[in-house]
Amino acid sequence: MSKQTILTNGRVYDPMNGIDGEIKDICISDGKIVDKVDASAKKIDLKGRLVMAGGVDMHSHIVGSKVGCGRAVCPEDHRKDPVPKTKNTRGGVGYTMPNSYVIGYRYSAMGYTTVIEPALPALKALGSWEEMEDLHNLDSGLLPMFCNSMITFHYVKEKDIRGLAAYLAWVNQKVGGLGCKVVNPGGTYAWAHGVDLRDPEGEIPGWDISPKDVMHGLCEAVELLGLPHVMHYHPNNLGRVGNIATTIQQLDSIRDIKGYRGRKSICHLTHMSFETLGSVEENSSEWKDIQSGGLEFAKYFNKNKHFTADMGQITFGPATTMTGDGPFEFYLYQLTGGKWVNIAVDVELPGGAGIVPYTYSPKAPGNSVQWAIPLEFALSVDDVWRCIMSTDNPNAGPFTKYPLVISWLMSKKQRDIWMEDMHKFANERSALSTIDREWSLYEIAITTRAAPAKILGIEKIKGHLGVGADADVTVYDIDTTKVDLAKDPERIIKTFSQSYLTFLRGQQVSKKGVVKSTGNRKVWTIHPELNEDLWSRINKELEVMMNDWYSHSFYNYPVPDRYRAHLEQKVPVDSTSVPA
Amino acid sequence: MTESSKLKEHVVCPFCGCLCDDIGIGVEGNKITENKNGCAISQAKFLNHHDDRLEMSGSLKELVKEAAEIIANSKRLLVYGLSSTENDAHREAYKIAEEAGGVVDNTSSVCHGPTILGSQESGEPIAALAETRHRADLIIYWGSNPQFAHPRHMSRYTRADGLYIKDGKKDRQIWVVDIRKTISATVADKFIKIAPGSDLEVISAIRAIARGKILDVDEVGGLPVEEIIKLVEEMKSAKYGVLFFGLGLTQSKGRHRNIDAAIRLIQDMNHYTKWGMLPMRGHYNVAGANKTSTWQTGYPYAVDYARGYPRYQPGEYTAVDMLVRGEADAVLNIAADPAAHFPKEAVQHMAKIPVINIDPKRNMTSLIAKVNIQTAIAGIECDGAATRMDGLPLYLKKVVDPPEGILPDRDVLRMIYDEVRRLKK
Repeated sequence: MSKQTILTNGRVYDPMNGIDGEIKDICISDGKIVDKVDASAKKIDLKGRLVMAGGVDMHSHIVGSKVGCGRAVCPEDHRKDPVPKTKNTRGGVGYTMPNSYVIGYRYSAMGYTTVIEPALPALKALGSWEEMEDLHNLDSGLLPMFCNSMITFHYVKEKDIRGLAAYLAWVNQKVGGLGCKVVNPGGTYAWAHGVDLRDPEGEIPGWDISPKDVMHGLCEAVELLGLPHVMHYHPNNLGRVGNIATTIQQLDSIRDIKGYRGRKSICHLTHMSFETLGSVEENSSEWKDIQSGGLEFAKYFNKNKHFTADMGQITFGPATTMTGDGPFEFYLYQLTGGKWVNIAVDVELPGGAGIVPYTYSPKAPGNSVQWAIPLEFALSVDDVWRCIMSTDNPNAGPFTKYPLVISWLMSKKQRDIWMEDMHKFANERSALSTIDREWSLYEIAITTRAAPAKILGIEKIKGHLGVGADADVTVYDIDTTKVDLAKDPERIIKTFSQSYLTFLRGQQVSKKGVVKSTGNRKVWTIHPELNEDLWSRINKELEVMMNDWYSHSFYNYPVPDRYRAHLEQKVPVDSTSVPA
Repeated sequence: MTESSKLKEHVVCPFCGCLCDDIGIGVEGNKITENKNGCAISQAKFLNHHDDRLEMSGSLKELVKEAAEIIANSKRLLVYGLSSTENDAHREAYKIAEEAGGVVDNTSSVCHGPTILGSQESGEPIAALAETRHRADLIIYWGSNPQFAHPRHMSRYTRADGLYIKDGKKDRQIWVVDIRKTISATVADKFIKIAPGSDLEVISAIRAIARGKILDVDEVGGLPVEEIIKLVEEMKSAKYGVLFFGLGLTQSKGRHRNIDAAIRLIQDMNHYTKWGMLPMRGHYNVAGANKTSTWQTGYPYAVDYARGYPRYQPGEYTAVDMLVRGEADAVLNIAADPAAHFPKEAVQHMAKIPVINIDPKRNMTSLIAKVNIQTAIAGIECDGAATRMDGLPLYLKKVVDPPEGILPDRDVLRMIYDEVRRLKK
C-alpha cells in the first residue's frame, strides 16, 4: 500500500503554478505531489496556515575541505552552541559551521529541503560524497570548480571549446557534479605565481590568456553542452571598493554567447553584495570612499537579461569567509590580522582556497554599506525570478539568519529600525532609506523556492507544489490573513525561523522545530552524455594531462559508485551533438 | 573475483600519509606475490599482510557481545585510535562514543595535535603535493626525517621534476633543520643543525629578522645570527617555498607554540613571496581521522559526549590525559597501539581496566586487552577511503580477501554498536 497524506486547508503560495495565497489541499503519495489520494490517506488539517514548497538554497557552503578546515581551526565558533542528541537525531554543534548532521536538522527546522554546495574542488569530490552521507534531511548537489584549472587553461588557450566542454562533461560524470562553478578565473591561479591578478583583461602567468577568456570559454562550454544550470559565477576583483565597474565589464563580455536552445540567461552571478561596491571618488579603491552600487547594478540587471544573481546578504555578527578566491582571503587577512587559512589544491586551484573568520559590525562604515547593497538591489529589480535571497552561508552570515533577511525584504519598518543603529554611511552612501518597496509573500516564495529551483534547472520536481513534484512541503505557523507582516517584522522572523511542518519527499522531517532524521534524500548530479568520438578523445587527453600534472593517478580520480549510487539522482543531459 | 596471476594497478598504499597510489600488486589466487613501486615499508605491509594476525579467544559473535557489555557497563568510555583504518570505520566509532556518552580521540593527540592547536591560534597556509613538485624552489624539512618515515616523499614530490622546476635536483634547494644529522639531512642541499629544544627561539629569530628587526645576540639555538640572516634572505627570494614539519617540531619543547610560530612565519613570508606548509602526517589516515571527526562531531580530536553533545578539550579529553588521570574505566582501541606508545602511567591504568582491541595484527595493546577482535586490513583486504597528508581523499582498494570469517573494522564496530543499543534498551 502506498503511503499517502493529505494536507487540507493550507493557504498556498506556489509561484511556479501561479498560486498566490489560495486555500488548497495538497495531496502526497509515495513522496510525490499527486492530484488526489485515497480516503484512507493520513489527513492533516492546516487550518489556514501558510504553505510553500520546501525551501531551495542554491548557494550555501555546507561540505568539503574548506568547510572542514574552517570547523577544525575555529572550535570557538561551535562551543557556545551545543546540540544534544535526541531519540531521532545525532548530537552536534552549531553556529556558522555546524557539523553535518546539525546543518541538515537546522535547515529542516526552517523549512528548507534542498541545499546546494557551490564550490567543489573536483579532485577532492570523494571526501564531499562521504560527507553527504551524514548530511541528513537534505537533497543536495555539488558544483565543481573549473576556473583555475590548468586543464581549462589548456583548452582555452587552444581555443578548443569542444574539448573544454568534454572536460566539463567528464568531470561532472566522474565525480558527480551539478554544473560549472567559476571563482575568480585565473586570479587564484596567478596567485600561485605570487601575482595578484584582478584585471579581467590581464594575463594569466605562463598561459597567454586572460581571466575574461577563461570566463567566456567556460560559459560557451556550458551552453554548448546544454547543462541545466548555467555557469555559476564569482567574478574577478571581489571585495574591492569600486569593483562594480569590473563586474559589469565581465558580465558584458559574455553577452555575445548564445544560450542553449535560445535560453536568455547564461550566467548566475553569485553573492552580488561583494562585487557591486561603488566609490564616491572615481577610480578610488579606498574603503573610506565606499558607496553602494546596488541601485546602479539593479539598473544594469533590469536592462540586461542574460544573467541572474543572488544577494550574499550580510547579516551582522559572526561569519566565516571561505572561498576558492584565495588572494581575496589573503587581502581580508591583512585587514583583520586574525586567523588565515589557505588551502592549495593540486592543478585545479594552485593558489588555494582561503578561510578568514570575520565579524560584521553595523558600526563599521564598510560593513554598513555592504549591508545596504543587496537590499537596495533586490528592492529595485523588476524581476524577482532572477534575484535570489542568500547569505553565501557562512560568508556573509549563517543560513540560520535567513528569516532576518526576509524581514528586511518584507518590511520597510524593519529596515528603518536597523538603519537607526547603523553607521551613518548606510544612509549617506546608499539609497536604501528612500526605497519603500516591500516584498510580498509571493515574492518570498519565488526567491526562496521557485526561482532557485528554476535557475538550477531542477524545476520540474523541485521548488513547487504542482502534480509530479517531489513532496517537499513547508507549512509555517501563521494565518497570513490575520497579520500585517510588514508592520510586524518580529513575526516575520518567528514565522520563518521555525516551520510548523516540513516534509522532504513526502516524509515529515520537522514539526515545530522537533526534527526527525531521515536518510531518504538524494544528491543531484548531471550526466552529460557525449558522442563516442568526443568521449574517447577526452579520455585520452585527460589521461595524459592528469598523469603529467597531478600527483595521483587518472584512474583514481573518479568517485567510486559505492559512495554515490545509493544517494545519487542523475539528471541525464544529451550532449551527443557536440562534435569531437 | 580474483583471477589467478594478475597485476592490480593504481593501488593506494595504506602505510604513511603519502598514500602513494602508483602501486602495482601482483596477486595469484588469493596471495599477494609482488609489490611494484612500493617502498620497503610498503613491500612489507602488502607481502606480509598474513603474518602476526591478532588471535581471538572466541567466536566473533561472542567477542562482540563481550565488548558491548563492557561498553554498556562503562561510565567513562575512551574510544581511541582510528588513524590506521578507513573513514567508514570512524563513523561507527563516533556513533559508539555518542551512544555510550564517552570520549573519542584519535592518534593525532600524540602526533600532530599541537599542529591543530597552532592552526586554531593562527590558521594555516596549507601546501599541496603536486604543487610542491611543480613549483617549489625551496623546501624545508623541519624536525622530520622523510627518508626514514615517508620513504618516497622526496623522490615523488621534492626531488622530482615539475612543470616549472624542470630539474628537480638542480633547480630546487632542500634544507633539513634538525638537532642531528639524519639520513634525510645527508641527501639535502643544506643541513641546519640547531640545539635541542631551541626550535621556538630559532623560528622566532627568523621571523624577527624577516620583519627587519635587529637581534642583540650573536647566536640563537646554536646558529650564528649572520647565518640566520642569510637563511631569511634566501627564504624571501625563493619563488615558492614549502615547509614540511614533523614530530621533531610538534612534540619537542614548546609544542603547539612551535607550530603557532611556524605558521606565523609562513604567513609572514606570503607578504614577500609564496610559501605554504604541511605537517608530515605519519599514519596513512590520521589526516582522515581529523577530517571525519570534524564533520561528524564538529571538532578534530579530543571529543567528549558525556553531556549528549560533543565538547572539545585537548588536555582533558585526550587519551593520554584521560588515562593518566585514571578517568577512563574502559577503552575501545581501534587500529592503533597505545600500549606501545603511551607513557608508563597511562599504560599502567589501561592494564587495570577492560580494553577492547580491534586490529588486524598482534600488537602490544593486545597483550593487556580483555577482548581482541581481528579485522581485515583496509586497503589490502577490504576497501575504504583515506586522506593524504595534504587533504586529498583517495579510494583504498581491496586486492585480496581477508582471512576466513574476518570482517572490516566498520562491520565489527557496527555489530558492537547494535549490541550496545540492544543492551541499553
